[in-house]
Amino acid sequence: MDIERRGQWLRGVLDLCVLGLLRDRESYGYQLAQALEAAGIGSIQGGTLYPVLLRLQRTGLVSAQWREGAAGPARKYYRITDLGRAELRRGGQDWLAFVAPVTGLVTERVDG
Amino acid sequence: MNADEWLRAFAAELRQRRVRDDDARHVVAEAATHLRDGGGDPAVVFGLPGRYAAAIAESIGATPPPVPAAPGPVRLHARGITKRYGRRTVLRDAGLTVRAGQIAAIVGANGCGKSTFLRICAGLISPDAGEVTVTGRLGYCPQQGGTADFLLPDEHFVLVGAGGGLARGPARRAGRAAARKLGWDAPGDVLTRHLSGGTRQKLNLTMSTLTEPDVLLLDEPYQGFDRGTYVDFWDQLGRLRDAGRAIVVVTHLLNQLDRVDLVLDLTPAGGTVRDGDAGWGGRA
Repeated sequence: MDIERRGQWLRGVLDLCVLGLLRDRESYGYQLAQALEAAGIGSIQGGTLYPVLLRLQRTGLVSAQWREGAAGPARKYYRITDLGRAELRRGGQDWLAFVAPVTGLVTERVDG
Repeated sequence: MNADEWLRAFAAELRQRRVRDDDARHVVAEAATHLRDGGGDPAVVFGLPGRYAAAIAESIGATPPPVPAAPGPVRLHARGITKRYGRRTVLRDAGLTVRAGQIAAIVGANGCGKSTFLRICAGLISPDAGEVTVTGRLGYCPQQGGTADFLLPDEHFVLVGAGGGLARGPARRAGRAAARKLGWDAPGDVLTRHLSGGTRQKLNLTMSTLTEPDVLLLDEPYQGFDRGTYVDFWDQLGRLRDAGRAIVVVTHLLNQLDRVDLVLDLTPAGGTVRDGDAGWGGRA
């Protein structure tokens, strides 16, 4: 995939992807990066991920706390807030409304 | 550049961009955790220290440099402290003045008398010469051994609280709240002897802050802490300082991430107080 284009897309939706992953359970940075990769988004480096998490935290969409896990060292855990859930709903709907026509347009013409 | 070098460079870049100390500590610790979990070249994972620091500063919204708070009244004044054990002079004419709203670090090589100096300040041992004046209530956290194996954490809180005139309920609540600030949910039913060394140290530390002392003396209280707790510990000290406490910390290594106002170096031929230049944002 064209790396630059992928980067541009990601910048627009990475925050929504992170909110989506946090919807049902709290997580920490490295685990989120792995989950994003497992979801097929591709490899997200820390240098891209943590600034997004900080912005989400600053705007109150997630909260964060340092805690020791069940096994292993202390990590900074992120948890979605009510504000974050509302943003996930709204932003998610916006995204779906945005990609539907793009997908429609492109799908018909991509084979030809 | 290995991970440690990269993290040091990153911390310096954050500092240059005036990212708040607390924010910077969290970000550096988180990057260190990430590198430990995932490995990899930090320059690939995070990019160049300067560029990543710029991205962080932008995401956080950097703050202007803090206005130095006016120093409060003197809380601890030790002067001319000399201590001999047999023919060995451990401390010679050492002194320290700490005001409300300051953190002082006592540093120096092993065996140079750091703990002795602190114990003299706490009134636990007498100096051969010199005097200590403490204004207000005193809290002291020993290096280890301040906890009782067969008591629950809650019982420690109640015991210490009783000394400060707190009833059982409030003492327990205050203890648990203070423990949570160190990222520790004190369990109600686990005997202290079953706690890990690091957790016992959290209990120790929690006890020393429970009755909100005006002067807090801490003797390397973070042994056994992992990095996250260590970050929480310094955050907590920052909050106590901002609340007007006078704090003295004995430490064998003064991390560049630690933020102190004064440093007393007891290494022989040293024995001088210098400004907190080792920690960023030193506001001496």
